[in-house]
Amino acid sequence: MPDTGSFWIRARQVCAAVGIAAGAAAGIGWARDPGEFGFSYLLAFMFFLSLGLGALFLVMLHHLVDAGWSVPIRRVLEHLAMLAPALALLFVPIAIVAPQVYPWLAMADHPDAALESKRWFLNPAFFYARALAYFAIWSVLAWRLRAWSLRQDRSGAAECTRRMRRWSAAGMFLFAITVTLAAIDWMQSLQHHWSSTIYGVLFFAGSVWATLAWIFLAAAILRLIGPLREVVHARQFHDIGVLLLAFTLFYAYIHFSQYFLIWTAHIPEETFWYAQRGAGGWRGIGLWIVFGHFLAPFLLLLRIDAKQSMALMLPLCGWALLMHYLELAYHIMPVLRPDGFRITGLDMACLLAIDGALGAIFALFMSRHPAYPIRDPRLQEALAGAGTPPVSAPETAAEDA
Amino acid sequence: MNAAPVLHGWLAEFATADQVQAAAGRVRQAGYTRWDVFAPWPIRGLDDAMGLRRSPVGWFVFAGGALGLAAGMAMVWFMNQHDYPLAVGGKPMFSTWFALPIAFELAILFGAMAAVLAMLALNRLPRWHHPLLQTPRFARATDDRFFLVIESADPQFAADRTRQFLESLECVHVEAVWEEGPCDT
Repeated sequence: MPDTGSFWIRARQVCAAVGIAAGAAAGIGWARDPGEFGFSYLLAFMFFLSLGLGALFLVMLHHLVDAGWSVPIRRVLEHLAMLAPALALLFVPIAIVAPQVYPWLAMADHPDAALESKRWFLNPAFFYARALAYFAIWSVLAWRLRAWSLRQDRSGAAECTRRMRRWSAAGMFLFAITVTLAAIDWMQSLQHHWSSTIYGVLFFAGSVWATLAWIFLAAAILRLIGPLREVVHARQFHDIGVLLLAFTLFYAYIHFSQYFLIWTAHIPEETFWYAQRGAGGWRGIGLWIVFGHFLAPFLLLLRIDAKQSMALMLPLCGWALLMHYLELAYHIMPVLRPDGFRITGLDMACLLAIDGALGAIFALFMSRHPAYPIRDPRLQEALAGAGTPPVSAPETAAEDA
Repeated sequence: MNAAPVLHGWLAEFATADQVQAAAGRVRQAGYTRWDVFAPWPIRGLDDAMGLRRSPVGWFVFAGGALGLAAGMAMVWFMNQHDYPLAVGGKPMFSTWFALPIAFELAILFGAMAAVLAMLALNRLPRWHHPLLQTPRFARATDDRFFLVIESADPQFAADRTRQFLESLECVHVEAVWEEGPCDT
């Protein structure tokens, strides 16, 4: 493995510097207008949280289906998931400004019948206790999964794989419940009169989609600069691309289901959410999501050879991250800015502050540990026939040459 | 009374997958275009060695899917807007939103049918018989032997030279395949 120690030290310094500078700028924004800061920060926070959760899901999925191809990219995902404790710390500003962001938190004395019936769930004590529980569960899962993986780097024991599989089996249930509730708590309850039972799945689908785009970019960069050069090949990129296409469809299916049911039922307490987002500048953003989040990536990813074309995939993955941010903004920001979407300096400051903090920690992880599970029993399987991706369908052999 | 039997091609038999794969590379280099390889299981990399282009089935699936989508939309429009206008729940007579589930399902159905039909058509199936099936040794193509056939339809085909070329490869046996079997005469 090429030595990239100095690269990670430099990356850590740059990230830390960016994070501190942007954090200071965000702090000024906080002092000036806690409400506006709360929304900007929440949007940035949910963006990075969704990447961490997507990574945790992909790691657990890898163990549950006993995957071979994804061994070389698993360590990077383990590090990404392991940002959960840092994200717990970064949640503190949201916990502080929550009363300015979530109206129901500040509505203790308001006579609101719809809210009264939800009080058993939407009350401050339970809200903060749940947040603690989510971060505890995500942190422990990410920590144990990575700890066993790192232990295997030293021992090479198959027992480690079995342990990770057991953690994943239990973890997948906990993950499904916590992600659903977290999406309800931190995004859906911004408008507590509204409810959508599919909301957790919608957040999950978008999160995994964005994470797949991120890991494609990360794998391409890490192959270029060295750490993954010998282990990440056409097959890995192809398979990430296939999953990206699947989640493009899955996301669209889920969001359409939500829209379709609300449109069909036509109940005012549900339709107001989309009515608000169909007005002003948000109408255009909705169309961007239909065409940019679903249709364009779907058509571009359809061809079997598209997934290995770096000239197509690298811009597309960058675009996917942008679309994911826009999608989260579509959920969060109309409450603050009903007349339309715009990016402010404060939005950027919050984004860069969290990005810098998490990037520095990620660089620290990367400098400390091997870039891939070096003694995983399935590593050789992932490398076998590395140059030839599994795209040559057997059925073509029956054709005349 | 009987017409002279027509040569379908030369059939070479190989003992291992590596040998047939190496032979495929040689046949391709020699410039043959009407030839094929038969193996009991998919051999990784054989498609590249044979220089096979990608299967065009995907294009048929895409066309089938697009057709299904359009058919679903048209069907819902015809029924709800045109033939028997029915207002339900204050909704418009036709909207892409409520037509989409039907159109989506039809896109899947037409796409899947296009995949099966295009696969059959491109493989020239179904067919009653193929000349290769009358050589007894060929049965082992489903068991433990690997075969490579060069057809007489190939522009480069020359009965003697092609046979000698095949024999120069690492094969265990070369035999002629005739267009019509003894039973037909």
